[in-house]
Amino acid sequence: MTLLEFAISNLRRRAARSGLTMSAIALGIAAVVALTSIAWGFEASWQKANDARGTDLIVTRVASENTMPTPFREERVRQVLAAMPHVHEVVGLLSEMLTVSEDAPPVFVFGWVYGSYLWDHLKLQQGHWPREPMEDGVVIGSIAAETLHKKVGDFIEIEGKRFAVIGLFESSAVVENGALIMTLDQAQLITDKPGKVNVLNIKLDTTASEAEVQAIKERVKRELPGYVAITSGELVRKNAVVRISKAMSNATILIAGLVGALVVFNTMLMSINERTKEIGILLALGWQRATVMKLVFSEAVVLSLLGGAAGILVGIGIAWGLEHVELMRGKIDPVFSVPFCFAVLGLSVLLGICGGIYPALKAARMQPSAALRYE
Amino acid sequence: MTTASPKLRIQEVALHYDDGQTRALDGVSLEVAPGEFVAIVGPSGSGKSSLLNVIGTLEQPTAGQVYLDGKAYSEIRDASLFRRENIGFVFQSFNLIPTLTALENVVVPTVGGSGRVAAHRSRAQALLAQLGLGARMGHLPGKLSGGERQRVAIARALINNPRMILADEPTGSLDSANAEQVLDILKGVIKQQGLAMIMVTHDAKVSAHADRIIHMRDGRIEQEGGT
Repeated sequence: MTLLEFAISNLRRRAARSGLTMSAIALGIAAVVALTSIAWGFEASWQKANDARGTDLIVTRVASENTMPTPFREERVRQVLAAMPHVHEVVGLLSEMLTVSEDAPPVFVFGWVYGSYLWDHLKLQQGHWPREPMEDGVVIGSIAAETLHKKVGDFIEIEGKRFAVIGLFESSAVVENGALIMTLDQAQLITDKPGKVNVLNIKLDTTASEAEVQAIKERVKRELPGYVAITSGELVRKNAVVRISKAMSNATILIAGLVGALVVFNTMLMSINERTKEIGILLALGWQRATVMKLVFSEAVVLSLLGGAAGILVGIGIAWGLEHVELMRGKIDPVFSVPFCFAVLGLSVLLGICGGIYPALKAARMQPSAALRYE
Repeated sequence: MTTASPKLRIQEVALHYDDGQTRALDGVSLEVAPGEFVAIVGPSGSGKSSLLNVIGTLEQPTAGQVYLDGKAYSEIRDASLFRRENIGFVFQSFNLIPTLTALENVVVPTVGGSGRVAAHRSRAQALLAQLGLGARMGHLPGKLSGGERQRVAIARALINNPRMILADEPTGSLDSANAEQVLDILKGVIKQQGLAMIMVTHDAKVSAHADRIIHMRDGRIEQEGGT
């Protein structure tokens, strides 16, 4: 019999308590996994959307940290940007979260410059793209089509105006699959923001070096006060929603960690107290104090490891479930990775070790002669 | 009985608590020969268990010296390791671990030690078979009779090939038939392997099996003699 087999036998002896402890750890870990995967997924899906469009730099208001940055008049800014070296194309983008159907959750509505490179990465599944800048039509992402129950040929009323669904598309970014896209001119018209955009997307020519990209950023800062040129990653990280969700995820990790360690601590301490005489016997039989400590740590780590593994599965289930809730469809894209799962398992083991330190020390410090007399 | 080369030699051992206010042992000297069975008797509080604890390295004496096969206890660096390698304990209430099978209980003293797990398991199987428990190895202690449990405890005491057996009322929880059987087994083992055995008991019938009886009172040896 190995030490691990003995530890597992001790946990099975108190199956109900071990099960409750593992459940508590699993719940904490599940919260960590679900929130973290959603926070990262939120960041990743916006970055993926920006990257998929082929945008090299995004120009926005300096202070704006909203998911959809504060709209601004684009004409002058666009002209200044277009005159900079290596700038191949500058196109505006307007986006809004709008309710388009009473029985469906709000969706993103994007306005993209007609005929610009922004459309190039989308795959048209049915219908056609807008044929002119002022066409009264929208193309609908595959997820939005499901949540809004719309198909090509149907009509959608947006901000009091009736639009025909002229096309169905698929994107590599879940945010776009959950959205409606129309021309920028139409979007500016229905949202009453003529000449305004949330961001200007810059596509550089292929010869632009890192230093030249940096130079463009510096020029924007100098020549366009109040504006900033940043990469899509920087834009997403600047996003207040992403930062709040990450902060919540970090807070959850901290709370779950503390609660998990306390639960393990409580369980192991109770177990050690109940097994005082048994530990005395083991010490009398020649077990070294280090072996007794290893036994207690093994039990704590097995508890937290099993709880952690169960928590990962539950957390993935929760995130998957949330992703498919009507309100959230097309807006979050949870990210799970093998390294992340291992990191969470590592966190679980750490909980076990932290929670097991005092009980292990207490067990190892017992005087065998006194413990043997314990009833 | 004193021999030229005793297995165990205890010299003027004292065990004091509360700055000497309580004297659990007070100048105890004793020698035990290889293969000898010594019974320690005496009223409660006479120092029997304290003496067993000192001999078993569970407590350090305040004064005096103990030698096992010539090795002084004061030279022992790791008391746990010393116990594991030299001493087999048998307790009154068996002290088996209820969730482990008879076989697993026997190998418990080897856990975390050196040697191969399979080798310990084979030895445990051989010991249990030798003690008539070949067919009961997979049973939990709750499914064994009192006599069987104590035989499992004896096998556990022998698993690491000890030089000495320390038994604290090993027949106290057994009926007379099982008590006789357990005593016969213990006596057989120590004679066969040349071990020393010191047994604390209240039972005159049990002490009658011993080669020598030590009577204790107030932490001292009051009387010593053969049976």
